[in-house]
Amino acid sequence: MGIKFTILLRVRLAFMFVLAFSLAIIWKVAHLQLVEGAHWKEVAEEILLDYKDVKATRGNIYSDNGSLLATSLPFYQLAFDPTAPKDKYFREGIDSLSMLMSRFFGDRSPEEYKRKLTDARKKRKRYLILSEKNLTYGQKKIISSWPIFRLGQFRGGVVFDKIDKRHRPFGYMAFRTVGFINDQNQGAGLEYSYNAQLGGKKGEALFQRIAGGNWRPLYDENYVKPEDGYDIQTTLDVNLQDVAEDALYRHLLRHNADYGTVVLMEVKTGEIKAMANLSQNSQGGYEERYNYAVGEQGLTEPGSTIKLASLLALFEDSDLDLKDTVFGDWGRHAFYDRIMVDSKPEGYGTLTVKEAFAYSSNIGIAKLVVDHFGNKPQKYIDYLQKFGLGKKVGFQMAGEAQPYIKNTYDSSWSGISLPWICHGYEMKLAPIHTLCLYNAVANDGKMIKPIIVKEVRKADKILEKYKTDEIVEKICSEKTLAKAREMLEEVVVSGTAKNIAGTHYKIAGKTGTAQRLVKGRYTKTYYTSFAGYFPADKPKYSCIVVIDNPKGYNQYGADVAAPVFKEIADKVYATDKEMHKLLEEKKFFDKEGIFPMVKAGFLEDLRYLCNHFGISNHANEKEDWVAAVPRNNAIVWQNRVVRKELVPDCKGFTLKDAMYVLGNNGLRVEYSGSGRVVQQSLIPGQKIVKGWTIHLKLG
Amino acid sequence: MATYYTSQLRDEQITRSIDWVTVSIYALLVLFGWLNIHASVYDPEVHKGLLDFSTSSGKQFIWICTSVVLLSVILIIDHRFYDSTAWGIYGAVFLLLFSVLLFGKEVKGSKSWFEIGGLAIQPAEFAKMGVALALSKFISSPNIKMDKLKNQLIGGAIILLPAVMVLLQNDTGSFLVFSSFLIVFYREGMSPFIIIVGVACAVILVLTLIFPQYQLMIAFGILGICSIYFVKRKTVSNVLVVLGVTAATIVYIGTVDYFFNNVLQQHQQTRLKVLVNPDVDPLGAGWQVTQAKIAIGSGGFLGKGYLQGTQTKFDFVPDQSTDNIFCTVGEEHGWLGSFVLITLFMSLFLRLIYLAERQKVKFARIFGYCVASVMFFHFTINIGMTIGLFPVIGIPLPFFSYGGSSLWAFTIMLFIFLNFDASRRYILG
Repeated sequence: MGIKFTILLRVRLAFMFVLAFSLAIIWKVAHLQLVEGAHWKEVAEEILLDYKDVKATRGNIYSDNGSLLATSLPFYQLAFDPTAPKDKYFREGIDSLSMLMSRFFGDRSPEEYKRKLTDARKKRKRYLILSEKNLTYGQKKIISSWPIFRLGQFRGGVVFDKIDKRHRPFGYMAFRTVGFINDQNQGAGLEYSYNAQLGGKKGEALFQRIAGGNWRPLYDENYVKPEDGYDIQTTLDVNLQDVAEDALYRHLLRHNADYGTVVLMEVKTGEIKAMANLSQNSQGGYEERYNYAVGEQGLTEPGSTIKLASLLALFEDSDLDLKDTVFGDWGRHAFYDRIMVDSKPEGYGTLTVKEAFAYSSNIGIAKLVVDHFGNKPQKYIDYLQKFGLGKKVGFQMAGEAQPYIKNTYDSSWSGISLPWICHGYEMKLAPIHTLCLYNAVANDGKMIKPIIVKEVRKADKILEKYKTDEIVEKICSEKTLAKAREMLEEVVVSGTAKNIAGTHYKIAGKTGTAQRLVKGRYTKTYYTSFAGYFPADKPKYSCIVVIDNPKGYNQYGADVAAPVFKEIADKVYATDKEMHKLLEEKKFFDKEGIFPMVKAGFLEDLRYLCNHFGISNHANEKEDWVAAVPRNNAIVWQNRVVRKELVPDCKGFTLKDAMYVLGNNGLRVEYSGSGRVVQQSLIPGQKIVKGWTIHLKLG
Repeated sequence: MATYYTSQLRDEQITRSIDWVTVSIYALLVLFGWLNIHASVYDPEVHKGLLDFSTSSGKQFIWICTSVVLLSVILIIDHRFYDSTAWGIYGAVFLLLFSVLLFGKEVKGSKSWFEIGGLAIQPAEFAKMGVALALSKFISSPNIKMDKLKNQLIGGAIILLPAVMVLLQNDTGSFLVFSSFLIVFYREGMSPFIIIVGVACAVILVLTLIFPQYQLMIAFGILGICSIYFVKRKTVSNVLVVLGVTAATIVYIGTVDYFFNNVLQQHQQTRLKVLVNPDVDPLGAGWQVTQAKIAIGSGGFLGKGYLQGTQTKFDFVPDQSTDNIFCTVGEEHGWLGSFVLITLFMSLFLRLIYLAERQKVKFARIFGYCVASVMFFHFTINIGMTIGLFPVIGIPLPFFSYGGSSLWAFTIMLFIFLNFDASRRYILG
């Protein structure tokens, strides 16, 4: 009886337990849904809505002549509110719309599209995303013209959500200079440095959560419109940039170098016309990855290019003359315990100051500097500071390296510091700093700040204009300047860089070949450079070329960096008419009164010439092609009949005219000699067979 | 000829004597479950049908069809087969659990899946059935009474052996399910003491999350001393027992922190904390609790209508088709739908207890209790979790959640029991 009771009790307990729990759950659910229901419903609505940022359109980056270097291209996502159009329009348009959509997207049949749109309309859906891929502006225009959609956003229900993508029309050109920026605001170059101006102000809109984790914007009264970013106008010249990059690239490849950089600057304004930086990647190719011209990683011991500063200091502080001599020793010279060597193993012996600079004799320059500044080295350092070498130039791009010039009171200063500093060691400069010094020499002693951004604009309105700032009003006297410029020209005329001597214009500059410090030791690898300006007599551009760690036989600045300079200078010269000297006007007629020889050609041309020079001429009939027959003191034009299918008579024609006429008649032309046609291989008046070749003899 | 006759006779028996009430509830649950799985994965942008095999609902349809085949086979096999092969099945399941530890595939941190040609099988689901059979076999042996400590220990070992394997797979949810077998022990004579202590420990653990430790210690101390007043016969030993229990409780409260911080894993700690305060981890475990509440709470009395739910569809609620399937019911069918569902489950459990009690064979009765206990545990924990009554423990709702292993395992268990029930009048008690 007792056992039976216990078991009965336990079974009943089990029943009760299940019941109790089920009731508890029902009660709890009821509480959630009926008592707290209103609250949860509100929360549910709320989490379906959220304020989100609306990105502003980023401003453009322009080159100096208004070419786009970087721009934001709009792409569109197509969405549709199928409840928007009125019944009549929907019914009329749906068939052709479905057909067009099917044909355009190609992923569904017209029937499928029709069903999809009609279903959505029936279910009163307000937002249907129709394109997974982003559409271009052109595609958007096409789609906007489709039935129903052409009624617009409110009557037609079509919605284009804009998405901006950054585009560089010139691809990788000046990649690092133009720079980039990511969503975390990390970046480099102009995109990064001018993000505040380019970025614009983001807006805010209420978004509604829709299926698939997407959000659709509700442009309600709370919509804060984003403010588009400003444009910036740079000083970069796309043609020169292209020339610089191309020349640098080819030479880097030839020398298998680690990296290279080129900066081309306008002397008077400091405007940077080209800034190229290429470094070797793991595949052995070259790409723009770091701005060595300006940044920390470009900071290095500059080598011989700094001898210019040493001599400027000497000229300023003494009356040293270019013709004064110095004993350059026989290739080796000891300063305390360290041996200085020259690149010419047997040495230069006695040199003039000009020669010491032109041949880049380390010993010669060091001896000159030590002789004069040996007992007052701080004075020499002060000169370097005065030349603006110790400070940042305050470049417009973020990340400019801090140059380093040693002081005599620094703990690392030693007895050999002076002779070594004066030829470019124990100091650190980035290429842009060296360039500023050379530019100052070219710019009559006025050191100016290089600029790369000229203006910040909003459409056509200029918001901010950057003018040329000077760093040092005059780094040295006119006398010193004259000497310096003479020396710099001599380098290219007879010195280390005579291999790049120009024919039409003069280059002035200085080579540099510094031993590279690798893990604290000087190695047999080099940092080569060439800094200078051109044309030497009327400087327009200054330029620095750096090529780091070239490999192979040629490792000197003259052989590696200087040719790049020359190539760039040549191209600049060829396209810059301002630089060309005016051609001297030559008298066309040496002697008066002699009747010029006129042969045959295009009547209009010949008549124009004759009229210009006052030769009376007469035409009997009207034909395009004529030959001149002199009669007394005048010319009578005799017709040269040119017919399509017959070989014309070209005797007396210029090559240009002959080729025009013959080519038009379907003949191929070969020629020899120069002058006017004296003989032709096909007889005039002969019938032409297409593809024949005619040989012309000119004389 | 004779064999043919028997089997034909058997078919008639089964169709006539099977408990159609249970079968109907089963069928309703499976059907509703399938429709709700469709609703929870339904994307209004992409019209995919109920039978689209790339979706969960399409796959579940295959599982349902195979379950029907499975249950037919189970019903045709003679009930004595299950009795006599109980240990064999137990062993086989154990081997499966062991090999999944070695060759299994890891999903969400649990190495508990076998993948055979796109089909994923979770042996832990079948382990419950193995344990149920073995336990029934053991307890139903002659002269075994569950009030003896020795038998309780053996029974405990039968449960723990596979349970520990499941725990090693990092599947804590399924591990806890094994504790539901204690209900069977209780029915078969075990003193309720162990269950009471277990539940008390859990309750106190949650209380320590709400109140400071020292406050709880003082409160339980006063409670203990006061309760001496209510002891009827104030013998020294009775008073000592009360004081002992009080002291043990206080010590437990003192050590619960250690257990909480050192035994439980980080995510388990958070899940417990979230139970008390969902704002502890609003984007992690708290997110799930809050989102589930939003989904159910926004359903109201009648719900938003079939396929009209927003919370469960836009990926707010995680695991919407498996562990959180109840949210879909709550959101789309409201309180009324939830009520119907819970009533269905409740009827199933009560019916199972009733059926178990009418068995003449001890094995069948115990097995019936096993089935009811396991399903009840799943039901309580799963729904309790979604509405914030229990901490988040990822176990499926029987017959309802998406998943083949779970559906198969519960179907097999239920129909083995129904087989016994159908044959009961041919068995001599």
